[in-house]
Amino acid sequence: MTDRNDRWGDLLRRANRGEASAYAQFLTEAAPVIRTVVRGRSGREEGTEDVVQEVLLAIHAKRHTWRDTDPVTPWVYAIARYKTADAFRRDRRSAQQVPIEDLAERLPDEGQVDPTVARDLARLLGQIDERSARIVRAVALDGESAGDVGGRLGMSEGAVRVAYHRALTRLRQLAAADQEKEHVTK
Amino acid sequence: MKTEDLITSLAADAAPVSGTSLERHAALAVAAGFAVTLALFAAFYGPRPELSAAMSKPVTLAKTLLPLLLGGLAWSIVLRTARPAAPVGAAARLVWIVPAAMAGLLLWALLTTAAGQRLQLFIGHSINVCLPSIMLLSLPILGGLLAVLRQGAPVHPARCGALAGLASAGLATAVYSLFCTEDSPLFYGVWYNLGILLVAGLGALLGRRFLRW
Repeated sequence: MTDRNDRWGDLLRRANRGEASAYAQFLTEAAPVIRTVVRGRSGREEGTEDVVQEVLLAIHAKRHTWRDTDPVTPWVYAIARYKTADAFRRDRRSAQQVPIEDLAERLPDEGQVDPTVARDLARLLGQIDERSARIVRAVALDGESAGDVGGRLGMSEGAVRVAYHRALTRLRQLAAADQEKEHVTK
Repeated sequence: MKTEDLITSLAADAAPVSGTSLERHAALAVAAGFAVTLALFAAFYGPRPELSAAMSKPVTLAKTLLPLLLGGLAWSIVLRTARPAAPVGAAARLVWIVPAAMAGLLLWALLTTAAGQRLQLFIGHSINVCLPSIMLLSLPILGGLLAVLRQGAPVHPARCGALAGLASAGLATAVYSLFCTEDSPLFYGVWYNLGILLVAGLGALLGRRFLRW
Protein backbone atom coordinates (compact mmCIF):
# COMPACT_ATOMS: atom_id res chain seq x y z
CA MET A 1 0.00 0.00 0.00
CA THR A 2 2.63 2.54 1.03
CA ASP A 3 4.80 0.97 -1.65
CA ARG A 4 2.21 1.83 -4.20
CA ASN A 5 1.77 5.30 -2.75
CA ASP A 6 5.49 6.02 -2.97
CA ARG A 7 5.72 4.61 -6.46
CA TRP A 8 2.69 6.49 -7.78
CA GLY A 9 3.77 9.62 -5.99
CA ASP A 10 7.11 9.50 -7.72
CA LEU A 11 5.51 8.84 -11.12
CA LEU A 12 2.92 11.61 -10.81
CA ARG A 13 5.52 14.08 -9.55
CA ARG A 14 7.57 13.43 -12.67
CA ALA A 15 4.43 13.49 -14.82
CA ASN A 16 3.46 16.89 -13.42
CA ARG A 17 6.87 18.14 -14.47
CA GLY A 18 5.96 17.14 -18.02
CA GLU A 19 7.48 13.67 -18.28
CA ALA A 20 5.11 11.78 -20.61
CA SER A 21 6.54 8.30 -20.01
CA ALA A 22 6.14 8.58 -16.24
CA TYR A 23 2.60 9.83 -16.79
CA ALA A 24 1.74 6.91 -19.09
CA GLN A 25 3.16 4.52 -16.50
CA PHE A 26 1.17 6.14 -13.70
CA LEU A 27 -2.11 5.99 -15.64
CA THR A 28 -1.46 2.42 -16.77
CA GLU A 29 -0.87 1.28 -13.20
CA ALA A 30 -3.77 3.31 -11.81
CA ALA A 31 -6.37 2.14 -14.36
CA PRO A 32 -6.87 -1.42 -13.01
CA VAL A 33 -7.06 -0.10 -9.44
CA ILE A 34 -9.60 2.51 -10.53
CA ARG A 35 -11.55 -0.23 -12.33
CA THR A 36 -11.74 -2.19 -9.08
CA VAL A 37 -12.97 0.86 -7.16
CA VAL A 38 -15.59 1.70 -9.81
CA ARG A 39 -16.80 -1.89 -10.08
CA GLY A 40 -16.90 -2.28 -6.31
CA ARG A 41 -18.96 0.85 -5.82
CA SER A 42 -21.34 0.41 -8.72
CA GLY A 43 -21.70 -3.34 -8.10
CA ARG A 44 -21.92 -4.25 -11.75
CA GLU A 45 -19.87 -4.76 -14.85
CA GLU A 46 -21.92 -2.86 -17.41
CA GLY A 47 -20.77 0.70 -18.02
CA THR A 48 -17.69 0.28 -15.81
CA GLU A 49 -15.21 1.06 -18.55
CA ASP A 50 -16.97 4.35 -19.41
CA VAL A 51 -16.68 5.46 -15.81
CA VAL A 52 -13.04 4.33 -15.61
CA GLN A 53 -12.33 6.55 -18.61
CA GLU A 54 -14.18 9.44 -17.01
CA VAL A 55 -12.04 8.99 -13.90
CA LEU A 56 -8.87 9.01 -16.00
CA LEU A 57 -10.02 12.17 -17.76
CA ALA A 58 -10.84 13.74 -14.39
CA ILE A 59 -7.41 12.82 -13.05
CA HIS A 60 -5.91 14.44 -16.12
CA ALA A 61 -7.98 17.61 -15.87
CA LYS A 62 -7.46 17.93 -12.10
CA ARG A 63 -3.89 16.73 -11.70
CA HIS A 64 -2.89 20.16 -10.42
CA THR A 65 -5.08 19.52 -7.33
CA TRP A 66 -2.59 16.96 -6.05
CA ARG A 67 0.09 18.56 -3.91
CA ASP A 68 3.21 16.50 -4.28
CA THR A 69 3.67 16.41 -0.51
CA ASP A 70 0.28 14.69 0.00
CA PRO A 71 -0.31 10.93 -0.33
CA VAL A 72 -1.40 10.15 -3.88
CA THR A 73 -3.44 6.95 -3.49
CA PRO A 74 -6.21 8.56 -1.39
CA TRP A 75 -6.33 11.31 -4.00
CA VAL A 76 -6.88 8.78 -6.80
CA TYR A 77 -9.49 6.85 -4.80
CA ALA A 78 -11.38 10.03 -3.89
CA ILE A 79 -11.63 11.04 -7.55
CA ALA A 80 -12.71 7.51 -8.53
CA ARG A 81 -15.42 7.48 -5.84
CA TYR A 82 -16.67 10.95 -6.77
CA LYS A 83 -16.90 10.15 -10.47
CA THR A 84 -18.57 6.79 -9.82
CA ALA A 85 -21.20 8.44 -7.62
CA ASP A 86 -21.66 11.10 -10.29
CA ALA A 87 -22.20 8.48 -13.01
CA PHE A 88 -24.64 6.66 -10.74
CA ARG A 89 -26.70 9.80 -10.25
CA ARG A 90 -26.78 10.41 -13.96
CA ASP A 91 -27.82 6.82 -14.65
CA ARG A 92 -30.62 6.99 -12.16
CA ARG A 93 -31.91 10.17 -13.79
CA SER A 94 -31.97 8.59 -17.21
CA ALA A 95 -32.52 4.86 -17.12
CA GLN A 96 -31.16 4.54 -20.62
CA GLN A 97 -27.77 5.60 -21.88
CA VAL A 98 -27.54 6.78 -25.45
CA PRO A 99 -24.44 5.41 -27.14
CA ILE A 100 -23.61 8.67 -28.91
CA GLU A 101 -20.07 7.50 -29.32
CA ASP A 102 -21.12 4.50 -31.43
CA LEU A 103 -23.50 6.74 -33.27
CA ALA A 104 -20.81 9.27 -34.03
CA GLU A 105 -18.55 6.53 -35.34
CA ARG A 106 -21.24 5.36 -37.78
CA LEU A 107 -22.11 8.84 -38.96
CA PRO A 108 -19.55 9.43 -41.74
CA ASP A 109 -21.78 7.26 -43.91
CA GLU A 110 -24.19 10.15 -44.31
CA GLY A 111 -26.45 8.50 -46.88
CA GLN A 112 -27.57 5.72 -44.59
CA VAL A 113 -28.13 7.78 -41.51
CA ASP A 114 -31.58 8.35 -40.16
CA PRO A 115 -32.15 12.09 -40.80
CA THR A 116 -33.58 12.64 -37.30
CA VAL A 117 -30.36 11.30 -35.79
CA ALA A 118 -28.28 13.71 -37.84
CA ARG A 119 -30.56 16.56 -36.83
CA ASP A 120 -30.37 15.57 -33.16
CA LEU A 121 -26.59 15.42 -33.33
CA ALA A 122 -26.42 18.84 -34.97
CA ARG A 123 -28.63 20.23 -32.22
CA LEU A 124 -26.54 18.59 -29.50
CA LEU A 125 -23.36 19.94 -31.08
CA GLY A 126 -24.90 23.39 -30.84
CA GLN A 127 -25.05 22.97 -27.07
CA ILE A 128 -21.35 22.43 -26.52
CA ASP A 129 -18.62 25.00 -26.99
CA GLU A 130 -17.63 25.97 -30.50
CA ARG A 131 -14.16 24.48 -30.49
CA SER A 132 -15.26 21.09 -29.12
CA ALA A 133 -18.07 20.97 -31.69
CA ARG A 134 -15.57 21.63 -34.47
CA ILE A 135 -13.34 18.84 -33.21
CA VAL A 136 -16.23 16.35 -33.04
CA ARG A 137 -17.40 17.32 -36.53
CA ALA A 138 -13.90 17.02 -37.97
CA VAL A 139 -12.94 13.74 -36.27
CA ALA A 140 -16.25 11.88 -36.09
CA LEU A 141 -18.13 13.19 -39.12
CA ASP A 142 -15.43 14.11 -41.60
CA GLY A 143 -13.07 11.36 -40.50
CA GLU A 144 -10.05 13.64 -40.15
CA SER A 145 -7.14 12.48 -38.02
CA ALA A 146 -6.52 14.09 -34.64
CA GLY A 147 -3.14 15.29 -35.91
CA ASP A 148 -4.67 17.15 -38.87
CA VAL A 149 -7.35 18.76 -36.73
CA GLY A 150 -4.73 19.74 -34.18
CA GLY A 151 -2.58 21.33 -36.86
CA ARG A 152 -5.52 23.42 -37.98
CA LEU A 153 -6.55 24.48 -34.47
CA GLY A 154 -3.04 24.95 -33.14
CA MET A 155 -3.37 22.10 -30.62
CA SER A 156 -1.26 19.02 -29.99
CA GLU A 157 -2.62 15.70 -31.23
CA GLY A 158 -3.01 14.53 -27.62
CA ALA A 159 -4.95 17.66 -26.68
CA VAL A 160 -7.33 17.07 -29.60
CA ARG A 161 -7.93 13.46 -28.54
CA VAL A 162 -8.62 14.53 -24.98
CA ALA A 163 -10.95 17.32 -26.10
CA TYR A 164 -12.68 14.90 -28.47
CA HIS A 165 -13.23 12.34 -25.78
CA ARG A 166 -14.45 14.93 -23.32
CA ALA A 167 -16.87 16.34 -25.89
CA LEU A 168 -18.30 12.87 -26.55
CA THR A 169 -18.83 12.36 -22.83
CA ARG A 170 -20.59 15.70 -22.66
CA LEU A 171 -22.76 14.85 -25.69
CA ARG A 172 -23.70 11.56 -24.11
CA GLN A 173 -24.82 13.42 -20.99
CA LEU A 174 -26.79 15.96 -23.02
CA ALA A 175 -28.46 13.20 -25.00
CA ALA A 176 -29.36 11.37 -21.79
CA ALA A 177 -30.81 14.57 -20.32
CA ASP A 178 -32.82 15.03 -23.52
CA GLN A 179 -34.21 11.54 -23.34
CA GLU A 180 -35.23 12.14 -19.78
CA LYS A 181 -37.04 15.32 -20.79
CA GLU A 182 -38.87 13.51 -23.58
CA HIS A 183 -39.76 10.82 -21.14
CA VAL A 184 -41.31 13.37 -18.80
CA THR A 185 -43.30 15.14 -21.52
CA LYS A 186 -44.68 11.87 -22.90
CA MET B 1 -12.33 4.50 -27.47
CA LYS B 2 -10.37 1.86 -25.64
CA THR B 3 -8.93 2.70 -22.25
CA GLU B 4 -5.36 2.01 -23.39
CA ASP B 5 -5.83 4.46 -26.26
CA LEU B 6 -7.18 7.07 -23.89
CA ILE B 7 -4.15 6.62 -21.64
CA THR B 8 -1.85 7.06 -24.64
CA SER B 9 -3.67 10.26 -25.59
CA LEU B 10 -3.57 11.62 -22.06
CA ALA B 11 0.13 10.85 -21.71
CA ALA B 12 0.78 12.61 -25.01
CA ASP B 13 -0.85 15.66 -23.43
CA ALA B 14 1.54 15.67 -20.46
CA ALA B 15 2.78 19.14 -19.61
CA PRO B 16 4.24 20.73 -16.52
CA VAL B 17 1.48 21.72 -14.09
CA SER B 18 1.77 23.93 -11.04
CA GLY B 19 0.73 22.45 -7.72
CA THR B 20 0.15 25.84 -6.13
CA SER B 21 -1.89 27.59 -8.82
CA LEU B 22 -5.09 27.15 -6.79
CA GLU B 23 -3.68 29.11 -3.84
CA ARG B 24 -2.26 31.83 -6.05
CA HIS B 25 -5.48 32.27 -8.00
CA ALA B 26 -7.54 32.23 -4.82
CA ALA B 27 -5.34 34.94 -3.31
CA LEU B 28 -5.85 37.09 -6.41
CA ALA B 29 -9.60 36.46 -6.48
CA VAL B 30 -10.06 37.22 -2.79
CA ALA B 31 -7.95 40.35 -3.11
CA ALA B 32 -10.00 41.52 -6.10
CA GLY B 33 -13.30 40.70 -4.37
CA PHE B 34 -12.13 42.39 -1.19
CA ALA B 35 -11.26 45.52 -3.15
CA VAL B 36 -14.81 45.63 -4.52
CA THR B 37 -16.17 45.10 -1.01
CA LEU B 38 -14.05 47.99 0.27
CA ALA B 39 -15.26 50.16 -2.59
CA LEU B 40 -18.89 49.35 -1.73
CA PHE B 41 -18.12 50.10 1.90
CA ALA B 42 -16.56 53.44 1.04
CA ALA B 43 -19.46 54.33 -1.26
CA PHE B 44 -22.41 53.33 0.93
CA TYR B 45 -21.19 52.99 4.51
CA GLY B 46 -17.96 54.57 5.68
CA PRO B 47 -16.39 54.18 9.10
CA ARG B 48 -18.37 55.06 12.22
CA PRO B 49 -17.56 58.28 14.10
CA GLU B 50 -14.62 57.97 16.47
CA LEU B 51 -13.66 54.56 15.16
CA SER B 52 -10.31 54.35 16.92
CA ALA B 53 -11.77 55.26 20.29
CA ALA B 54 -14.41 52.56 19.91
CA MET B 55 -11.82 50.00 18.84
CA SER B 56 -9.81 50.56 22.01
CA LYS B 57 -12.48 48.54 23.88
CA PRO B 58 -11.71 44.81 23.57
CA VAL B 59 -15.39 43.80 23.31
CA THR B 60 -15.83 46.17 20.38
CA LEU B 61 -12.56 45.10 18.80
CA ALA B 62 -13.74 41.48 19.00
CA LYS B 63 -16.61 42.14 16.61
CA THR B 64 -14.04 43.00 13.94
CA LEU B 65 -11.29 40.55 14.84
CA LEU B 66 -13.39 37.40 15.29
CA PRO B 67 -15.03 37.58 11.84
CA LEU B 68 -11.63 38.41 10.37
CA LEU B 69 -10.13 35.32 12.02
CA LEU B 70 -13.07 33.23 10.79
CA GLY B 71 -12.57 34.55 7.27
CA GLY B 72 -8.86 33.79 7.24
CA LEU B 73 -9.19 30.28 8.65
CA ALA B 74 -12.17 29.35 6.44
CA TRP B 75 -10.20 30.56 3.44
CA SER B 76 -7.37 28.19 4.32
CA ILE B 77 -9.79 25.29 4.92
CA VAL B 78 -11.77 25.82 1.73
CA LEU B 79 -8.66 25.50 -0.42
CA ARG B 80 -7.95 22.13 1.15
CA THR B 81 -11.48 20.92 0.51
CA ALA B 82 -10.93 21.75 -3.17
CA ARG B 83 -8.27 19.02 -3.29
CA PRO B 84 -9.53 15.42 -3.18
CA ALA B 85 -8.52 13.64 0.04
CA ALA B 86 -6.18 16.45 1.15
CA PRO B 87 -5.47 16.40 4.90
CA VAL B 88 -7.72 18.93 6.67
CA GLY B 89 -4.90 20.73 8.45
CA ALA B 90 -4.72 22.72 11.66
CA ALA B 91 -7.08 25.49 10.51
CA ALA B 92 -10.01 23.06 10.59
CA ARG B 93 -9.44 22.63 14.34
CA LEU B 94 -8.45 26.22 15.10
CA VAL B 95 -11.59 27.60 13.47
CA TRP B 96 -13.70 26.37 16.40
CA ILE B 97 -12.06 29.14 18.45
CA VAL B 98 -14.36 31.60 16.69
CA PRO B 99 -17.77 30.16 17.68
CA ALA B 100 -16.38 29.34 21.14
CA ALA B 101 -15.22 32.94 21.66
CA MET B 102 -18.50 34.28 20.30
CA ALA B 103 -20.48 32.07 22.67
CA GLY B 104 -18.24 33.15 25.55
CA LEU B 105 -18.77 36.84 24.77
CA LEU B 106 -22.50 36.33 24.44
CA LEU B 107 -22.66 34.59 27.79
CA TRP B 108 -20.49 37.25 29.42
CA ALA B 109 -22.73 40.02 28.04
CA LEU B 110 -25.84 38.22 29.21
CA LEU B 111 -24.44 38.01 32.73
CA THR B 112 -23.08 41.55 32.95
CA THR B 113 -25.93 43.43 31.28
CA ALA B 114 -28.73 44.71 33.52
CA ALA B 115 -31.88 42.66 32.98
CA GLY B 116 -33.85 45.68 31.76
CA GLN B 117 -31.32 46.47 29.03
CA ARG B 118 -30.81 43.01 27.55
CA LEU B 119 -33.72 42.97 25.15
CA GLN B 120 -33.00 46.50 23.97
CA LEU B 121 -29.34 45.73 23.21
CA PHE B 122 -30.24 42.42 21.60
CA ILE B 123 -32.75 44.01 19.21
CA GLY B 124 -30.59 47.10 18.68
CA HIS B 125 -31.62 49.46 15.90
CA SER B 126 -30.02 48.07 12.76
CA ILE B 127 -30.90 44.41 12.18
CA ASN B 128 -32.51 45.40 8.89
CA VAL B 129 -29.23 47.04 7.81
CA CYS B 130 -26.89 44.47 9.29
CA LEU B 131 -28.19 41.30 7.62
CA PRO B 132 -28.49 42.57 4.03
CA SER B 133 -25.19 44.45 4.34
CA ILE B 134 -23.23 41.40 5.38
CA MET B 135 -24.80 39.56 2.46
CA LEU B 136 -24.05 42.37 -0.01
CA LEU B 137 -20.46 42.93 1.10
CA SER B 138 -19.79 39.17 0.96
CA LEU B 139 -20.91 38.69 -2.61
CA PRO B 140 -17.85 40.07 -4.46
CA ILE B 141 -15.50 37.88 -2.43
CA LEU B 142 -17.78 34.84 -2.65
CA GLY B 143 -18.07 35.21 -6.40
CA GLY B 144 -14.32 35.41 -6.87
CA LEU B 145 -13.65 32.49 -4.57
CA LEU B 146 -16.23 30.25 -6.21
CA ALA B 147 -14.86 31.07 -9.65
CA VAL B 148 -11.40 29.91 -8.54
CA LEU B 149 -12.74 26.82 -6.75
CA ARG B 150 -14.14 25.63 -10.06
CA GLN B 151 -10.52 24.94 -11.02
CA GLY B 152 -10.31 22.66 -8.01
CA ALA B 153 -11.92 19.28 -7.51
CA PRO B 154 -14.09 19.41 -4.37
CA VAL B 155 -15.54 15.98 -3.67
CA HIS B 156 -18.20 17.65 -1.48
CA PRO B 157 -19.28 20.63 -3.59
CA ALA B 158 -21.92 21.90 -1.16
CA ARG B 159 -19.56 21.78 1.79
CA CYS B 160 -16.86 23.51 -0.21
CA GLY B 161 -19.33 26.24 -1.22
CA ALA B 162 -20.45 26.69 2.39
CA LEU B 163 -16.84 27.17 3.48
CA ALA B 164 -16.34 29.69 0.69
CA GLY B 165 -19.41 31.45 2.11
CA LEU B 166 -17.90 31.45 5.61
CA ALA B 167 -14.60 32.82 4.30
CA SER B 168 -16.19 35.64 2.33
CA ALA B 169 -18.74 36.48 5.03
CA GLY B 170 -16.02 36.56 7.68
CA LEU B 171 -13.99 39.12 5.72
CA ALA B 172 -17.08 41.12 4.74
CA THR B 173 -18.42 41.21 8.31
CA ALA B 174 -15.09 42.51 9.59
CA VAL B 175 -15.45 45.38 7.11
CA TYR B 176 -19.08 46.01 7.99
CA SER B 177 -18.24 46.10 11.71
CA LEU B 178 -16.23 49.29 11.13
CA PHE B 179 -19.51 51.01 10.23
CA CYS B 180 -21.80 49.40 12.79
CA THR B 181 -22.22 51.10 16.18
CA GLU B 182 -23.89 48.20 17.99
CA ASP B 183 -21.14 47.14 20.35
CA SER B 184 -22.88 44.63 22.61
CA PRO B 185 -22.19 40.94 22.00
CA LEU B 186 -25.93 40.54 22.61
CA PHE B 187 -26.32 42.20 19.21
CA TYR B 188 -23.35 41.21 17.11
CA GLY B 189 -22.97 37.77 18.71
CA VAL B 190 -26.40 36.92 17.28
CA TRP B 191 -27.03 39.01 14.19
CA TYR B 192 -23.53 39.03 12.68
CA ASN B 193 -23.44 35.28 13.05
CA LEU B 194 -26.86 34.89 11.52
CA GLY B 195 -25.71 36.99 8.56
CA ILE B 196 -22.57 34.88 8.21
CA LEU B 197 -24.58 31.66 8.34
CA LEU B 198 -26.96 32.95 5.67
CA VAL B 199 -24.00 33.58 3.36
CA ALA B 200 -22.66 30.10 4.16
CA GLY B 201 -26.04 28.67 3.20
CA LEU B 202 -26.00 30.62 -0.03
CA GLY B 203 -22.48 29.34 -0.65
CA ALA B 204 -23.65 25.75 -0.12
CA LEU B 205 -26.45 26.20 -2.67
CA LEU B 206 -24.12 27.80 -5.20
CA GLY B 207 -21.48 25.16 -4.51
CA ARG B 208 -23.88 22.33 -5.21
CA ARG B 209 -24.83 24.00 -8.45
CA PHE B 210 -21.48 25.32 -9.71
CA LEU B 211 -18.69 23.35 -8.07
CA ARG B 212 -19.49 19.98 -9.60
CA TRP B 213 -16.88 18.71 -11.99
